[in-house]
Amino acid sequence: MSCSNYLSITDILVSHEKVPCKFFYDLPKMGFLDPSAVDDDLKAGTNTEIPLWLAESLHSRRPPLLSVDLPKIYKDAYREILNADACTVDLYKLGQHFYELGCYVAKYDIKGDVTNTLINTFKQRFRMLLTASASNDSIGSMQPLSGSERKFAAAAAVTENAISMWLQRGDCALKTANMVANHRKRKRAEMEMF
Amino acid sequence: MFAEKVIELLKESERNPDTIDPFKDEKIRQILEEMQTLFIMNMNDANATTENKSLWTTVQVRHSALERNKRCLLAYLYSRMEKIKTLRWEFGSVLPPDVRELLSDDEYEWFSRYSTNLASYMRSLGQDIGYSGIDLTENLRPPKALYMEVVCTTDYGKLELSDGDVVMLRRNSRHFLPAAECQTLVRQGVLKQIV
Repeated sequence: MSCSNYLSITDILVSHEKVPCKFFYDLPKMGFLDPSAVDDDLKAGTNTEIPLWLAESLHSRRPPLLSVDLPKIYKDAYREILNADACTVDLYKLGQHFYELGCYVAKYDIKGDVTNTLINTFKQRFRMLLTASASNDSIGSMQPLSGSERKFAAAAAVTENAISMWLQRGDCALKTANMVANHRKRKRAEMEMF
Repeated sequence: MFAEKVIELLKESERNPDTIDPFKDEKIRQILEEMQTLFIMNMNDANATTENKSLWTTVQVRHSALERNKRCLLAYLYSRMEKIKTLRWEFGSVLPPDVRELLSDDEYEWFSRYSTNLASYMRSLGQDIGYSGIDLTENLRPPKALYMEVVCTTDYGKLELSDGDVVMLRRNSRHFLPAAECQTLVRQGVLKQIV
C-alpha cells in the first residue's frame, strides 16, 4: 500500500471494495471470510471475495497467502462494453471508485489490458465530464459519473466561477466563510426536524 | 468481517466534507476494543504456533486487520484536525458554544494551542520594520473601498469601532462601516455585504 495517501479517506474507501481471491494455505479460525463456508477453518483452494486491503497485504507476504483475481467490472465482458462506448455506462452504479480501484487491480492483470481500458474510458468520457461541469441540470448530468468524476466536474464548475469573477475584476461582495455557512444550514435543518 | 465499524465512521465524515461532526467517542471506544480483542487472540495463537505451524497464516490475517484499523483511526483524526484548522480561520479564535461541543477535549486543547501559535506568528510579522503584526485572516480579497454597506443578520449587540464610536447591531439594521472593522463579522456571518 502506498504511503503517500495513508491518511486519505477516499483511498481507504477504495481499498474497502471487495476483490475475488483464491487462498493457497489453510487459515484456521478464519472461516467467516467465506460466507458459504460451514467450517470454522478456511481451507486452501477456497475462492471468495475479501476487501482489497486484506487481499493486498496477504498477497505481499512471503510466500503470498493468496492470489488476487480481477473484479468482474474489469473482466473481458465489461472491458468490451467500455471500449465500445464508455459514455453509455453508469459508472456510479457499476463501481463508484472505478478508476481508483482499477489502478490497484491493474497490477494483477499480466496482459495490461486493464490499464488501457482505464485510459480509453477516461478519454471517451472526458467530453461528457466537460458537459456535466457546464450543465445547469446538475443532478441529471452528474448521475452517471463515478465518484472521482463528480469531484472533477464540481472542481471545474468552481474554477469556471472563479474565472468569471476575476473577469469582473474581483468586484464582488465579501461572503460568509464556507464552514460557517454550512454549519448554520445544518443547524437550521436540525431545528426544523424537532 | 474486520474493520467494519471504522469504515462507518469514515463514511459519515466523508458525507459532510464541509462541516464538522460531533466527536464519536463511543464508536472509537468500540473500535479500540475490537483491536484489543484481535491483539489478544493473536498473542495466544502466536504462542501456540510452536505446536501448530498452520496458525501463522491466521496471525498474519489478524495483524493486517490491526494495521488497517490503525490506519483508519489515524485518517479519521487527521481529517478532523484539518477541519479544526479551518475552524480557526473561519470562526476566529473564539468558537461559538454549539461548535465547541462538537470537539472532544483533546481536540479543543489542540485548537487552543493552534490558535495561540497562529496569533503569536501573526504578531511577530513585520516587527523588524516597525509594524506590530498583521492579521492574516483579514483582507482575504483586496478591499475595493474603505467603507462598505452591510446589513445585520442577527442581534449581535454593541460593536465598538477603533475611533470610539459604538454601533448597535440589530437584526435587519443597515450600516455603513469601515471595511477593516467589519470584515471579520462578515466572514462569521453576522453581517452581510450589500452591493
